[in-house]
Amino acid sequence: MTRNTLYIILILALFSCKKSDPPAPSYQPTPYQIEIPFRFPTHLNIPDDNPMTVEGIELGRMLFYDGRISGRTDPDSMMCCATCHLQSRSFECGIDHPVYTGGHPFGVTGISTPHFMMPLINLVWTHTGYLWNGVIEEGNPDPSRRHLEDLVWMGIVAPHEMHSDTNQAKELIQRIPGYPQRFEQAFGSPVVTVKNMGKAIAQFVRTLISADSKFDQYLRGEVQLNPAELNGYILFVTEQGGDCFHCHGGEGNPLFTTNLFYNNGKDSVFTDPRDRYQVTGNPNDIGAYKAPTLRNLLFTAPYMHDGRFRTIDEVLDFYSSGLVWSPYINPLMHHISTNGNQLTPAEKADLKAFLLTLTDSTFVTNPEFGMPDLP
Amino acid sequence: MNSTFRTGPVVLLVSLIVILTGCKKDNDQPVPTPTFGSINIQFKHVFNEIPLLLDTLAWTDDFNNSFEINEVQYFISDVRLHLKGGGTYQIATSDGIHYVDARIPESHQWLPVDQIPPATYDSVSFTFGLNAVKNQSNRFPDPPERDMFWPEILGGGYHYMKLNTKWKNDTVAELRPFMMHLGIGQIYDPDKPDSIIGYVQNYFFVKLDSSSFVMETGKLKILVLTMHLDRWFDGPPDAINLATMPQGIMQNQPLMHTVCLNGRGAFSVKIE
Repeated sequence: MTRNTLYIILILALFSCKKSDPPAPSYQPTPYQIEIPFRFPTHLNIPDDNPMTVEGIELGRMLFYDGRISGRTDPDSMMCCATCHLQSRSFECGIDHPVYTGGHPFGVTGISTPHFMMPLINLVWTHTGYLWNGVIEEGNPDPSRRHLEDLVWMGIVAPHEMHSDTNQAKELIQRIPGYPQRFEQAFGSPVVTVKNMGKAIAQFVRTLISADSKFDQYLRGEVQLNPAELNGYILFVTEQGGDCFHCHGGEGNPLFTTNLFYNNGKDSVFTDPRDRYQVTGNPNDIGAYKAPTLRNLLFTAPYMHDGRFRTIDEVLDFYSSGLVWSPYINPLMHHISTNGNQLTPAEKADLKAFLLTLTDSTFVTNPEFGMPDLP
Repeated sequence: MNSTFRTGPVVLLVSLIVILTGCKKDNDQPVPTPTFGSINIQFKHVFNEIPLLLDTLAWTDDFNNSFEINEVQYFISDVRLHLKGGGTYQIATSDGIHYVDARIPESHQWLPVDQIPPATYDSVSFTFGLNAVKNQSNRFPDPPERDMFWPEILGGGYHYMKLNTKWKNDTVAELRPFMMHLGIGQIYDPDKPDSIIGYVQNYFFVKLDSSSFVMETGKLKILVLTMHLDRWFDGPPDAINLATMPQGIMQNQPLMHTVCLNGRGAFSVKIE
């Protein structure tokens, strides 16, 4: 053994505990931080495997608006998220949609969606599952149907939506100059995968935050509500008034939904195979659906899971005198013994005036949510 | 003698020492002997001593109304351990507030990080709901606590409890909702029934005298706090008849007061 050999052993010994340096990242997307609006929840639903990045959001915005994610280039059959989810209608299609008559979308083959739409607003605070029955949730036995991301591949293949093929979709996107680089910038690989398409679109959708309605400004002390709006709000939050707040929130829950599921007394016979009962198996969930946010109600007609009410007035009439008893009605619908909360016409007018203070015009015109230049 | 062979053993020895000790963690600090004990509070819900079944028409009150219970959600706060001979220790974890939801198993257990002084305690007490200082609007931005908010116009803060039921009896065949919601009460102007002229703090103090225990150093005590749901309806002191009640009570201070009196006797504790 030479002296040099011994010194080498000593050096090796000294450095034997040093951790190896992590490999330099091949890509470094820019982290994106969601700003929590005034009084909004602090707990965000962002999966660990899909952190928000500027590059991911921008890619997602392109894919959201690019009909080629349907795997087709024929203008007659191209479809994308924005085909139905219109910014001007708070990312629903709206009752006045030129194609989807009455606000009921259908897929490229003409098959109608099982339910009417829910707005894509403030979904980053949804922890109770997506869609009207919340079936896209952590507890779903199918691991490919648990997250917001999963709704993308589901939309691509659903007969009542794009009715396409995920391979066809990703291969087409792969061939479009500009997209591979954007996938690399967002996810570290130029190879387009449906999984990363889902991640990118989900990131964009999580940025769709509506928090600047007149009522938000009122909570922030920036404006005052007029007497009709204030009286409407009192009706909204009082049990002996309209009692809307137990399901739809209020000043203590500015999402204007609990994101929970209720049978709200619309029917006495239930045949929908996609109600909450199909998810939980609890008979008390028969005929129950998620309470949708009331934000931007002005833009999101028709109302309810089946779009049965065309106007806000029809909804108020229903809750006032149109409730239908069933054994499954939620106990929060305590006005059922009088078929509703029996609001007077003046009270309904005030309540409507308040509901319209939830209109967020800046949200539906925000250029950051609009159609970008596509590759 | 060749110098390599003179220094070699030394270098080898140093290397060996470095290898053997170089990765050792600095965990030679003596583990401090705890000078305190811990508690775990578990929450149970029974009706006439039978464990609660939600959404099941399994319960009958003193007036033969049959009913199901759909939601039991409430706050307890300011849990105090009363020392034998005087003095108290108050649980401080989470500002002393715990939310319980019968549908959320994780909420049925509270593990305060408090270090409980070893001593003999002769009783346990708590506040049902939130006292006026703690019952501040917007302190809980996230669900499920958030969804307990109590509108500002009605006094603000949070529901102390939501107990949602549906009932029927021999003359009412259809299940009817009844919502036992407790929170800050209102005093309405007798001349203008829509005008609120004052508020009433309805939170109440519950002391469970048969709850003595000895907290030993380094030991864990389990406090099993049981809510006897039947007592909210049947009392004592006053049995309430769902058939003659309105469907809700959150704007009815006399009824909230009656229910709160019943609630004072709706708990028991067992120390394990």
